[in-house]
Amino acid sequence: MARVYVSSVINAPAAKVWARVRDFNGLPNWHPGIAESRIENGEPADKVGCVRAFALRNGDRLREKLLGLSDFDMVCTYSILDSPMPLTNYVATLRLTPVTEQDRTFIEWSADFDCAPELEAELVSGVGGNVFQTGFDALNRAFGA
Amino acid sequence: MPRVVRSTIIDAPVERLWAVLRDFNGHESWHPIVAKSTIERGYPADKIGCVRRFTMQDGAELREQLLALSDLEMTFSYCLLETPIPLFNYVAHVRLLPVTDGNRSFWHWEGRFTTPAGRETELAELVGNEVYSNGIAAVRQLPDLAG
Repeated sequence: MARVYVSSVINAPAAKVWARVRDFNGLPNWHPGIAESRIENGEPADKVGCVRAFALRNGDRLREKLLGLSDFDMVCTYSILDSPMPLTNYVATLRLTPVTEQDRTFIEWSADFDCAPELEAELVSGVGGNVFQTGFDALNRAFGA
Repeated sequence: MPRVVRSTIIDAPVERLWAVLRDFNGHESWHPIVAKSTIERGYPADKIGCVRRFTMQDGAELREQLLALSDLEMTFSYCLLETPIPLFNYVAHVRLLPVTDGNRSFWHWEGRFTTPAGRETELAELVGNEVYSNGIAAVRQLPDLAG
C-alpha cells in the first residue's frame, strides 16, 4: 500500500481555514486544479456518505465519497470511487490542528492507496505535489504566507 | 478537568527535534525552570515506567513517570507522581509531526489535570506558560535547532 503525506503551515487561525476547506463541494472555491463540483442526488455536502462529482481543469472527472467529517477535530476523510488514475482503495484525510503560538494552522493531507509497484513513485509525487501541495500553496496565497 | 495545549512550529527537521525531546532525562539541559534531573533506580530514560526526579530552580522537587514512548509516532506521555503544587491526575502528551513544506516540525504539548475548585485558571496558566511555553522557547534557542 502506498502512502502520501504532505503538511504545511497556514498563516490564519484554524477556524478560518476550516471554514474554507470543510465544504465537501467547495474545492473549486479554493483549489486551483478543480474546475467544477456538484454533490450527487441533491444531498447536503456535509451528509456523511454523500458523493461529489468534480472536474479538473484538464477535463478529468472524479467521484469521491465523504467517509467522515468532524467539526470538533477539524478532520475530513473521503475515498475515490472513480478516477482516471490507475489506483484502488484510495482513502485520504485532511486534518487541521491549531498552532497556539502565533495563532496559525498546521494542515496535513494524507492518502493511502494500492497501485502497481512500478507506478507508485509517480502516483505518490503526483497526488502529493499536484493535488495536496498545490492546495496548500493556494491556501497560503489566500491567507497570506 | 482543565486541558492545556501549547503548539508551535520549530524551524528544524523533525528527527532533530525528536532527538532532543525523546530524552526523558534531558530537561535539565534545556528547560529554564529545571535545575537537575535524574532517573530513579538507575533505569534507562527510555524504559517505560521509569521515574524522573526534578529539582526545580526554586528548590522544589517533583517526580514524573514515563507512561508511553514511541519513536515511530514521535510521541510520549507521562504523569505527575509528586508535586508541591496542587495538580492532581496530571497526564501530559507530547507529539511531533513533520511539516513537509519547508522541512520543519510541528510540536504539540498538552496536559489534563484536576485541581482544587477555583484554581483551574491559575494552574492552567502556570502549566501552559511556565512549563510548556517557556520550554518551547528554550528549545527553539538550542544551537542544534536554531535556524
